Amino acid sequence: MTILYDEGQQAIATESRRVLEARVSKDDLLPLLESVGDYHRSFWDTAKEQGWTALALPEAQGGLGLGLVELGLIAHQAGRSLSGAPFLTSNFGAAKAIEIYGTDAQKARWLPGLASGEAIGAIAFAAGPDALPGQPDVTLTGDLLVGVASAVSGGLAADIAIVLANGPGMPALTLVELAGVERSAVASFDNSRCLADLHFAGTPAETLAVGHAARDAALHVLALQAVVTAHEQTGGAEVLMEIARDYALTRRAFGQPIGAFQSVKHRIAELYGLVELARANCIHAAAREGQPDFITAAAAARLSATEAYDTAARDCIQIHGGIGVTWELGLHLHMRRARSLAIEQGSSLFWEDVLVDRLAGEAA
Amino acid sequence: MSDLETYRAKAAAWLESVAPTFGREARKGLSEADDLALGRRYQKAKFDAGYAGINWPTEYGGQGLTHLEKVTFDAEEMKHGFPNFYFGISLGMPVPVLMQFGSDKEFVKERVLKALQGEEIWCQLFSEPSGGSDLAGLRTRAEPDGNGWKINGQKVWTSWAHYSDYGVIVVRTDPTVPKHKGLTYFWVDMKAPGVTVRPIKLAGGDSHVNEVFFDDVKISDDHRMSPVGGGFAVAITTLMIERYVATDSAGFGPHLDLFVDLAKDTLLGGKPAIEDGRIRQQIARNYAMRSGLDSINVRARLMMQAGMIPGAEGSLNKLVAVRSRQKLSELAIDLQGTDGFAFDAHASQKEDWASSWINAPTGRIAGGSDETLLNTIAEKVLGLPQDHRPDKGIPFNQIPA
Repeated sequence: MTILYDEGQQAIATESRRVLEARVSKDDLLPLLESVGDYHRSFWDTAKEQGWTALALPEAQGGLGLGLVELGLIAHQAGRSLSGAPFLTSNFGAAKAIEIYGTDAQKARWLPGLASGEAIGAIAFAAGPDALPGQPDVTLTGDLLVGVASAVSGGLAADIAIVLANGPGMPALTLVELAGVERSAVASFDNSRCLADLHFAGTPAETLAVGHAARDAALHVLALQAVVTAHEQTGGAEVLMEIARDYALTRRAFGQPIGAFQSVKHRIAELYGLVELARANCIHAAAREGQPDFITAAAAARLSATEAYDTAARDCIQIHGGIGVTWELGLHLHMRRARSLAIEQGSSLFWEDVLVDRLAGEAA
Repeated sequence: MSDLETYRAKAAAWLESVAPTFGREARKGLSEADDLALGRRYQKAKFDAGYAGINWPTEYGGQGLTHLEKVTFDAEEMKHGFPNFYFGISLGMPVPVLMQFGSDKEFVKERVLKALQGEEIWCQLFSEPSGGSDLAGLRTRAEPDGNGWKINGQKVWTSWAHYSDYGVIVVRTDPTVPKHKGLTYFWVDMKAPGVTVRPIKLAGGDSHVNEVFFDDVKISDDHRMSPVGGGFAVAITTLMIERYVATDSAGFGPHLDLFVDLAKDTLLGGKPAIEDGRIRQQIARNYAMRSGLDSINVRARLMMQAGMIPGAEGSLNKLVAVRSRQKLSELAIDLQGTDGFAFDAHASQKEDWASSWINAPTGRIAGGSDETLLNTIAEKVLGLPQDHRPDKGIPFNQIPA
């Protein structure tokens, strides 16, 4: 796949940006921060209405048959506008797990709903600092799950979850219906992520893969999601760089725009560099889906995008001075989101290890 | 296979065939004079095989192809360590500018052909002791002298001036107008009376740059390549040619694989360093940076292929790659501990960490310092204001020294 966007892809970027800029405002997002367990419904309605949920899923199950490149373009715009829910990524991850590792019956049961957005999927792999634990906190005995999956993004609203569990002597990747599962909302610094602890108490689960295959499958799903998230992070970093630039052009101090001071302009130029490196890695990774080096490309995209968004959040606020730390201006929405996206789909520490294992020829 | 891939394969095969004669191994142990002589023969071989002046007009002895073939060839050529750097500046900037702005076409044609065949070398006389990043602040002056001009002053950091036959030069012809407006662009004969070249030994031990002194050097007016007072625009044209040169995400230092190998072979606290988190983090970060640059460069090539103009992100290459190379080279020396003291001043910067490290500062300064590049991105790409410039609009001779 080429890394030059064609006209259709450019149209996806332009149109999604137009729609999101018209419909998402920080005035909707700020109250969500103080409301545990809620999300921005009009964002999710927009995603469904625009067909973004169906974009990268197969046509046979109600999808549009496009791929990671196109979904990445949407995620980039969602990052610019601060998406009001985590489901674009989590639905995609859950659907890909079922599409690649599920049975025909599982695909028929779940993919049409995930494609239309009527069903919400979540991914529950991590246990605290471990994005892909060797010994997950959830145990699979027979076909029943027991244990707690902690702080699952989208978990509060999801209909199904893909859970990495501790099977008999080996890991198992499972598909779980969440109706009836007890969930407790996690109060967070970024509450619209709908984080929840999922309490499994003899919950029926269907196995998608076991042993090494389960771990490989989980890593693959995580990498697919990581590329989507990296686009979202790059979008966030890009818009912060622009906000910083615009402020530096208008705010005056000592008789000139603050953007004329090198300490400020160089900071913004450095952000430009981080954003462009992240963008280039994202485009490359999205185009490598299905290739042997996909995990490596995803790791590079993830690392550079996390660095770009965190740094942009830090520096954009710094360049604003006092006004930058006010609740009302809302730059903290990005600062919060930069961190929640840095943790979802595995932190930089995790992806550094994944990457170096491959570069050193030590990957399983 | 696309036409370009066919071209690449053919070029790669030719380069492979001449590598034993001119490549890395053939150069080992040669004195600089012998290496230069080998370089001239290599340049002639390139010319004869149709790989000199790839994107230059055929009327000047070029091949009439595009930037794409040129960049494709350069990327393949870089793999073999040929002695081509003596001609890098010459064919990179002064000679293309001569083709564009030289007035006597017959003279120009003769010079271009000799330069393409490695017989003659051109240098670029821009920087001065008083003006590097601030090019327009230069002080070397040319005064009318009969029907021509007389040059007095000093240039510095002039690469390969000691081997050069000719040079292009920017000088001040009118100190009574603001600094950008009083400059004029000429070519000079480096063997003319009054031209003195003194090599400068750099920190790493090599001496490819020079001071060049001009004492009453007389030139006729047909050496002039710009309108009187219009030299700055031609100088900027020269610098813009650099935009499409082959890039290297390793910052012209060692490949990351060499660092990974070093980390696998080195014990740190009794364990392979590749298992140490600090080392792993640096490898991962460097990889992400390099793969980003590689992707930027592939995209730029695809855009040119599609007839589009590549984005401004190509300007990040040198800024990002060279400073990363500098830090990674320090870490590589750390990894080796006392074994890292061993130093060979003639080792390749692309293969030896100490050589890469000691020469890295040059890379961060030459061809636009990091700070200048950041200013360029901020001002030209992002539209941020220029720095405060107290000399703006003031006649040159009234700027406080």
